Amino acid sequence: MWAYVLRKLLYNIPVYFGIILLMMAALRVNDPVNNYLGKHPTPEQRLALEKDMGLDQPFIVQYVMFIAHIPLLDFGDSWKYEGTTVRERLIRAVPPSLSFTVPTLLAAAMISIVVSLVSAYYRGRPVDKTLMILAVLGMSVSYLVYIILGQFFGAFWPREAQWSLAPFAISGYEPWIGMKDVEGGGSAFFFSPTTWVTYCLLPVIVGVIVAMGYDTRFYRAVMVEECTKDYIITALAKGATKRKIMFVHMLKNALIPIVTRVMTTLPFLITGSILLEMFFNIPGMGKTLITAINDNDFPMIQGFVAVFAAVMILTIILTDVIYALVDPRVRLS
Amino acid sequence: MIKRLAKSRGLRRFMRSKIAMAALAVIGLYFAIAILVGVFRVITPADATVRVLPSRYPGFLQTPTLDKRFEVAQWFIDRVETKLNFAERRKTDVRPLLDELALVERTVAELPPERLRQLIDEAWEVSDEAGEGFDLRDDLLDDLDDATRELASHRDPDTDTATLRPVEELRAFIQGKRAEVQASSGEIDSALTRLEAVVLRIQPLPTGWAGMKYTFRTFLGSDYGGSSISINAFYSIKVAFQVGIVTATICVFIGTVLGAAAAFFGGWVDHTVMWLVSTMSSIPYLVLLAVLVYMFRGTYFDTTSNPFLSLVPLYTAFCLTFWVGTCRVIRGEVLKIKELEYVQAATSIGFGRFYILLRHVVPNATHLMFINFSLLVIGAIKSEVILTFLGLGVKGQPSWGRMIANGQQEVINFAFWEIGSATVLMFGLVLVFNIVSDALQDAFDPKHVT
Repeated sequence: MWAYVLRKLLYNIPVYFGIILLMMAALRVNDPVNNYLGKHPTPEQRLALEKDMGLDQPFIVQYVMFIAHIPLLDFGDSWKYEGTTVRERLIRAVPPSLSFTVPTLLAAAMISIVVSLVSAYYRGRPVDKTLMILAVLGMSVSYLVYIILGQFFGAFWPREAQWSLAPFAISGYEPWIGMKDVEGGGSAFFFSPTTWVTYCLLPVIVGVIVAMGYDTRFYRAVMVEECTKDYIITALAKGATKRKIMFVHMLKNALIPIVTRVMTTLPFLITGSILLEMFFNIPGMGKTLITAINDNDFPMIQGFVAVFAAVMILTIILTDVIYALVDPRVRLS
Repeated sequence: MIKRLAKSRGLRRFMRSKIAMAALAVIGLYFAIAILVGVFRVITPADATVRVLPSRYPGFLQTPTLDKRFEVAQWFIDRVETKLNFAERRKTDVRPLLDELALVERTVAELPPERLRQLIDEAWEVSDEAGEGFDLRDDLLDDLDDATRELASHRDPDTDTATLRPVEELRAFIQGKRAEVQASSGEIDSALTRLEAVVLRIQPLPTGWAGMKYTFRTFLGSDYGGSSISINAFYSIKVAFQVGIVTATICVFIGTVLGAAAAFFGGWVDHTVMWLVSTMSSIPYLVLLAVLVYMFRGTYFDTTSNPFLSLVPLYTAFCLTFWVGTCRVIRGEVLKIKELEYVQAATSIGFGRFYILLRHVVPNATHLMFINFSLLVIGAIKSEVILTFLGLGVKGQPSWGRMIANGQQEVINFAFWEIGSATVLMFGLVLVFNIVSDALQDAFDPKHVT
């Protein structure tokens, strides 16, 4: 088991180095200093920034230095926000992202599994057909349209029309759980579900609706395929009820690809949905990255990209391991 | 390759699916529009930016609200009057100035300046009348508001009901006011109708062929700058096809070449390709896009208005990411095919490896290329919206992405025409491509799980 994990890690290290190489090269195509300071910086300013990020050294030295600093998340100081390190801003951006991506992921997975179970149970009948048509229709609308219309009808309109029930903020974010400094020293734990509902529930709903179409179709296809297997026929022959077959025999086996798919969407937890964060103005990882790009904040971009890629690779490894764990047929070699 | 596919059982199964055939017909329709726009230049990008209506005029043959109608009529009169005054002060000929006001086919009437002046004065008189009507209605609405609030505070236990008017009286009052508001709205309506008649004499609607063209320009309304939404939306069909087909062709080509080579030759080729595949798929999609935005910022491609070259960043982003899926699928299929007897037979006869690959292996994976092509077209069309939002997308010509990205500002002003038309047209195209790729999958690859 551990040998397998280790082997996977070793295999993915060159992949990670490759990503860093590509990304660092891509970020240096345009001179980062010129991007930040405009076309004509004074030599002193230029020198200071170049020294700061080691941009005056050969690329290979920069590459090695950067990789050496990754384990400590030491990516230097932000250019735009002087005095803050990239690591600080990275850590600050995690809770807002998590507070809406975790519920989105869980809710989307659960609702999709239930819907696809219903669809697979009634396969070929009107219920199934309607659900699948709805899924295809839902998939054909752009993500941005869901966000814009969701924000308008969910938050903007109720507020404009002064309905008594207007629970969602149009955009913005406030911490809803954590430690808070109390006046007079010390800190206290606070937890406020209403704040969460105000700022995070609407993005969650939009995210779930978007994910539903793709997930439902995939899960249903998996379940229907499972239903044609021999063990289902055996169970039918020995007289098990259809319900028992669906929920006990079939679901257990269908869960293997389903778990894999849920795992592959895990990086979304950290990267957040850039679009949702942009539109709902949630200061998560995605929005921080886009802001850094708009500010030409080179150290921030480089650091974020490195972290995102690492998270992605770790989830890929984790997916393989979990896949091997839940499915004994997969050999660990 | 194509000939063999035409005789295959899969194609016959595909042709038998009625819904897929209908979807293909719709794609044909879209494609015909794209050809008309792209090859015959029925619509040029310049058409898309020219002003055809006042700002944010409603589309879908909807009648605008009274306030909007008032605003629009005043806008028409005001701009003609400004030009007349300007010509009078400068003592120049007013005609060229008035020609600047033309809304494409809808020009200012060929009347002498004195006559126009007369019409404008007439229009302002009617407009004042309508304005008074609006003032009256606003007063009535205020009264109505107060009464409604008073009625509501009857239910509030904290207020002293003695100071309020009795409920019955309030109800009657509200009912009366409502009728008055309705009557005053009717009056405003009739004043506005007269005002619009005068406006139509100052700047009449074109007739005949020009009239039909103008109707086409205006039937979906206008955006913030007053340019035609229908022109924008229909031009975008060409952009969508351009983006979709170029991306899908390049990605399917790269994916097939690399995937087939990796699976068929194995060894270091396979290792290199798979390393590339896992590297590219380990970069989160949106992060890659963001990095590309940074990479292309300020470069020639970012600033050019050349309709093809300005799309290079977009193509780069798609081609870097989309070939990976095709490559995986083709590699899997070729791995299966190369173990089959006919490949062994071909090897034993002594055919070269490249010949076998091109003649025997790749043709048997053609169906996967078609399915992937269709899926990639969908992916490209949908992602174009996101890319445009991030600033890496289409420039210098309209696209659905630009229209939808503008949508947020429009929607806040209750103008749904721009985002609505773009979404509906895009929905149609993506939906039929979805249906076709599903049918292709069912016909050629029935065992496949999506």
